[in-house]
Amino acid sequence: MIFPKNPQLDPPNRPGGCIGRHPLVRWSGAVLIFFLSALTVSAQVSAGSADPATRLPRVFIAGSGIERKALRTGIPFIDLVEDPAQAQVRVSIEPGPDGSIVRFLGQAEFQNKNDELTCRREAGESAEAFQNKVIQTIKLGLLRYVSKTPAAGRINVRLLDLVKPTSVLDPWNFWVFSAGVDAFLNGEESYKSEMWMGNVSASRVTPQWKIRFGLNGNYQVNAYSLEDFQYRSTSNSKSFNGLFVRSLGEHWSAGAQVQIVASTFNNTRWSLIPRPAVEFDLFPYSESTKKQFRFLYSIGPTFVRYMEETVYDRTRETLLSESLTASLELKQPWGSISTSLAGSHYIGHADKYRVELNAGLSIRLFQGMSFNIQGSGSRIHDQLALPKGGASYEEIVLQRKQLATSFQYYFFVGFSYSFGSIFSNVINPRFGSGNGGMSMSISM
Amino acid sequence: MKKRWNPARSGLVIILALSAPFARSQAGRPGPDIEALKKTAPRVFIDCGYCDIDYIKTEVTFVNYVRDRKEAQVHVLITIQATGSGGQEYLLSFLGQNEFQGVDDTVRYFANRTDTNDEVRRGLVKAIKIGLAAYAARTPIAARLAVDYEAPPQNGAIVDRWKNWVFSLSGDGYFQGEQSTSSNFWGLNLSANRITPDVKIRLGVSGSFNSNRYDYEDQTTRSTQENYSFNGLTVWSLGEHWSAGISLDVYSSTYENTLISMRPAPAVEFNVYPYSQSSRRQLRFLYKIGMQEVRYREETIYFKTHETLWNESLSMALDVKEKWGSISTSLTGSHYFHDLTKYNLTLYGSVNLNLFKGLSAFVAGGGSRIHDQLSLVKGDASLDEILLHRRQLATGYNYFVICGLSFTFGSIYTNVVNPRFGSTGSGSVQISIN
Repeated sequence: MIFPKNPQLDPPNRPGGCIGRHPLVRWSGAVLIFFLSALTVSAQVSAGSADPATRLPRVFIAGSGIERKALRTGIPFIDLVEDPAQAQVRVSIEPGPDGSIVRFLGQAEFQNKNDELTCRREAGESAEAFQNKVIQTIKLGLLRYVSKTPAAGRINVRLLDLVKPTSVLDPWNFWVFSAGVDAFLNGEESYKSEMWMGNVSASRVTPQWKIRFGLNGNYQVNAYSLEDFQYRSTSNSKSFNGLFVRSLGEHWSAGAQVQIVASTFNNTRWSLIPRPAVEFDLFPYSESTKKQFRFLYSIGPTFVRYMEETVYDRTRETLLSESLTASLELKQPWGSISTSLAGSHYIGHADKYRVELNAGLSIRLFQGMSFNIQGSGSRIHDQLALPKGGASYEEIVLQRKQLATSFQYYFFVGFSYSFGSIFSNVINPRFGSGNGGMSMSISM
Repeated sequence: MKKRWNPARSGLVIILALSAPFARSQAGRPGPDIEALKKTAPRVFIDCGYCDIDYIKTEVTFVNYVRDRKEAQVHVLITIQATGSGGQEYLLSFLGQNEFQGVDDTVRYFANRTDTNDEVRRGLVKAIKIGLAAYAARTPIAARLAVDYEAPPQNGAIVDRWKNWVFSLSGDGYFQGEQSTSSNFWGLNLSANRITPDVKIRLGVSGSFNSNRYDYEDQTTRSTQENYSFNGLTVWSLGEHWSAGISLDVYSSTYENTLISMRPAPAVEFNVYPYSQSSRRQLRFLYKIGMQEVRYREETIYFKTHETLWNESLSMALDVKEKWGSISTSLTGSHYFHDLTKYNLTLYGSVNLNLFKGLSAFVAGGGSRIHDQLSLVKGDASLDEILLHRRQLATGYNYFVICGLSFTFGSIYTNVVNPRFGSTGSGSVQISIN
């Protein structure tokens, strides 16, 4: 037997004597035995792991000619030792062709981890300035060693200056072109589904301009084939999207969107929707990764031609509509919020409107407890494209056609509470790390 | 310049650095032309599908970001593994290329299970910065880098009175609807795990309930599905290549026509690569043999309402993550002893390739030969059971394939983050497989 000796697993104590009783009784006994065996085993092998969490890396520096005090204040995250044998890193400074060469020699657990950096002395540079440069070089060179110690979590490296992200040598002037195809196929004897997607895009994103053009197409088919039931359904959509945005300071932007769409789901042979728009962000755009509160207003015509006659007896129409969207996004240490409220209506048809609320909230209520809500709800009074013919039972179940509705919602709520040893950083990849199987998500 | 090493002030300096217009004057003398220095800063490729890339770009400004790995001087390959406490280990492999060939490093960052997204991305950015500093130190921009150090609080070593046990309770609900259709999903999970390098114990109970409603021609159709399960696993480590363990799976499922099934199975695993390299490469062989006691909900096509089955399975799993991409495959074969023609062979695989400049491709797929559907119900399934996959149907195989190809050219730099008019609408497809 390859397992460590465990009396609970030895044959005499196994629930073998129970065979013949009701299976549920037998099983619950086995579950209990399994649980107990796991517990006793854990007690046998439990071992403490203490970590000298506040220990700084020991460094010996030779040949710098720099006062120890200057080194100590200049490099606060090391333990400067006198004895080279005690050090984890030995640093030596040697004169080089045009300045100094700083050598790093790893010892003990950093054995064979060596490095070399040059420190160039400019013409006319003062001794003090050059000394600061040497200290800076030692400091940056030591980060490779410090990063393996607990002190790493208390170190922050940053650039002293603000710099434009566009300070690069770019022959393409920030234009990026891309093309892609994707497919998702699955099936078994009685069922088959295929989804094909293609896209082409060109974009140029700089702090001043955001320009993007994209062409997308997708095609979907589901087929069922059983003895007494044959069914095949397809749907497809094609679209062109164009976006131009000009930055007007830290809070304002102006631009236009153009959309050309054809969709079997929406009963649209084609539609053209040009939309000039303007946006205001309550927070500066430069803080967008932490907080945004944006208001986007757009107005414009919609030219549409339907595939089938609609419930309003139309095969084509031209409409004018406007919309206003407010979105709030916060990503803070206590959690994140992502909410948007959008309203739109057709001008001249006050009863044809839509209001949509999307909200997501993910917060840590207290240590170990996190809470997650996501939801969306819509009041829908603008389904101008509904076909007169309706949808078949299969089209409804497979969500192949838009259905008449005055509302739509989804709501997700989740919580997770953990306690116990929640700061253990052990990795144990044995027998796989998941629950087995495969999970898959496709987002578009 | 002198101010920046005063620990008492470092907090203030950080705050000022964030409030843009004041940072320059506080940071001291104007220094050399920063825009010129930035042009010679290291070119970096961040290889991480699940990181907040925009945040990284706005926080780590002393390098240039490129969208193609071949253009980079530093390839930062980030892999994630679950830790014993349910948190995550981010392993950052810094791989020097072109001018920095041979300058390699690894940095680890641990995120706790209950850290919020913001805390995780802050910690990750710290680790990225500390790793990239070694490369920036080789370019002129090094002169303008500051390293802030915050002295540790004075407290003793942490004693783990829970002996590495972690308990979790989680639940979720999902509701969706409109006038003529609606669906509900409920799920609850309870788990107790203890993961140490020597032993891994995982115990979990979960249940889920799923229902759909359709109105069609004055008729309302309802369809439901229920699943309950208990999974237990104990694994002992036997050196760098071998492990042995025992699992117990108990479940009940309406989809599989199973009232209750219990399967205890001892197992043994061999990994060709040392387990310590698991984040980058694994080639594992797992052999399992066990007994299954099962009671069906309805009589099966083999006229059974309950039975005792013995079976064995062998699976092989390969996981590799390298600069050129990643491969993840598994092949599993199993059969029942009472009838050797009742077998199942399943292959899963996914390959992601960054082939050459601008071209990337991925393929993921799975297929099974199925000859072990012992729980199939005798009667026919209804239309909605078929359309909604509410009931297992007889089949000899199943498969799925996802593949994609994309080619990108033009500007290699991706330093800019421009949030105006939102960042959606690129129309790209993202598929992730765990």
